[in-house]
Amino acid sequence: MTEADKLALLKDLLLTDERAYAESIHSKIKALEEVINEQKRLSQKVDPIIDERLDEFIEEIPETLGPTITEALAEQIKNSKDQVVEALYPIMGKMIKKYISQEINLLTERINQQLEDSFSANSWKRKFRSWFGGVKEEELLLSELAKISKVEQVLVIEKNSGMLIGQYAKAETIDKDMVSGMLTAIKSFVEDAFNEQSQNLELIEYELYHIHIQSFVSFYIAVAISGEYNLTFKNKIQDIIFNFTDNFLNLFDDLSQIKEEVITNELEFYFSTNEKSL
Amino acid sequence: MKKASKKIILLGHFGVGKSSLIRQFVENTFTSDYKVTIGVHILKKEVEVAPDENVSLIIWDLEGYDDIKKTRASYLLGTHGFIYVFDVTRPATFENLKNDIDYLTNQYAKTPLKIVGNKADLVTKTYLKENANMFGVQPNFFTSAKTGTKVDELFTTLAKELVK
Ligand SMILES: Nc1nc2c(ncn2[C@@H]2O[C@H](COP(=O)(O)OP(=O)(O)OP(=O)(O)O)[C@@H](O)[C@H]2O)c(=O)[nH]1
Ligand SMILES: [Mg+2]
Repeated sequence: MTEADKLALLKDLLLTDERAYAESIHSKIKALEEVINEQKRLSQKVDPIIDERLDEFIEEIPETLGPTITEALAEQIKNSKDQVVEALYPIMGKMIKKYISQEINLLTERINQQLEDSFSANSWKRKFRSWFGGVKEEELLLSELAKISKVEQVLVIEKNSGMLIGQYAKAETIDKDMVSGMLTAIKSFVEDAFNEQSQNLELIEYELYHIHIQSFVSFYIAVAISGEYNLTFKNKIQDIIFNFTDNFLNLFDDLSQIKEEVITNELEFYFSTNEKSL
Repeated sequence: MKKASKKIILLGHFGVGKSSLIRQFVENTFTSDYKVTIGVHILKKEVEVAPDENVSLIIWDLEGYDDIKKTRASYLLGTHGFIYVFDVTRPATFENLKNDIDYLTNQYAKTPLKIVGNKADLVTKTYLKENANMFGVQPNFFTSAKTGTKVDELFTTLAKELVK
C-alpha cells in the first residue's frame, strides 16, 4: 500500500465514520424534533380532554369527596376553635342582630295588642276611674303597665373599663362589680361582632330580666327590669335616665369624684319616685 | 376606711394557669382538670394594701391567645394593671415573651405590669436559676397556682402599686 493509498484509506475511514456519526446525530435530532412536534400535536388534542376531566372532577367533588371534606373540616374546627370563632364573629353578629330586631318586632306586636285590649273594656273602666278620681287616663294606663314591669337595679358603669361608678338596687343580690364587668364584656363583644362602629347594644334579655342599656360617651347606664319590657316602658325608662343624667350626672366633670352613696341616693330618687308616680 | 376599685387583667397563652392563679388567690383552691376559659370571666377580691386601706380588685380572666395582638382590644380598655402569665415548662408560651411585653409596654406605657412564670412547682429552683436567661425577660414572680407559692404576693404587690 502506497502512502497515498494509506492516506486515502484513512480519509475514507475517517470520513465514513464522520458521516455515519453525523447521520446518527441527524437522525437523533430528527427523532427529537418529531417527539416535540408530536407532543405539541398531542397536547393540542389532549389538553381539552384534561380540562374537561378537571371540570367534571370539580363538579363531582361534593359527591365523591364531600363526606371526607366535611369530616376533615369538623376535625379542623375542633382543633382550631380560635380561628373558627374569629371567622364566625361577623356572621354571629348579624344573627344576633336579626334575632334582636325580630324580638323587637314581636314585642311591638304584643304591645299593640295590649294597647288595643286596654282600649276596649278596660279602657272604659279606666275612663270612669279617671273621671271620678281626677287622675289623667294616661297615668292610669301607665300604672297598669307599671304593675308588670319593675326596675330591679340600676348600674352606672364606666364604658371602657367596665368599672362600677354607682348603683341602686331594690334588693342586694349578686355582686354588682362583677355584674358591671360582665355586662361591659358582653356589650363590647356584641358590639365588636356587629362590626359597626356606631352600633350600641341596647337590650339584653337574661332569664326573667330585661337589661336596658343606655350608652353615653364615657359611661353607660344599665337598668335591670323584671316583668314585661315594652315600648311604653322603654320610653319611660329612657326619660328617667335622661332626667337623671341631665339634672345630676352632667353637673360633674369627673364621675369618679362623686361619692358612691350620693349616686345611689340620686338613682333611688329618680327611679323609685318616678316609679311610684307611674 | 379608704376603699378603691381597680381593674386588672390576666394575659397569656392557653393553659398557662391564668384561671388557676385567680382561683388560688380568690378561693384558695386548685384543681388539675383544665376548663378552657371562653371569652372572659370576672372575679373580685378585696386586698388590704395598708392599715385601714383596702382595694377591690376586679380581675378579668381572659381566654388564652397565642398572639397577644389577637386579644379583644375593648377588654383591655381602662385597665389599671396587667399580669402576663407564661408556663415555665412550655417554651411555646414564652418564646415571644419579649415581643409581647414590648407590645404591652408600648401600648399601655403607664399601666403597671407583672410578668409571671407559673407552674414553678414542676421544676426546681436551681433549674430556674440556671436558666434565668431562657425567658428573654426577667419575670417578676415564679408562681405555682397548685401550691399557692407567691400567688398572694403577686396580687398584693400589684394592688399596692395601683394605689400609689
Ligand atoms: N402543676 C401545675 N399545674 C397548673 C398550675 N397552674 C395551672 N395548672 C394546670 O394547667 C392547666 C390549665 O390551667 P388554667 O388555669 O385553666 O389555664 P388558663 O391560662 O386559664 O387557660 P385558658 O383559659 O385556656 O387560657 C390546668 O390543668 C391546671 O390544673 C400550676 O401552678 N402548677
Ligand atoms: Mg382560663
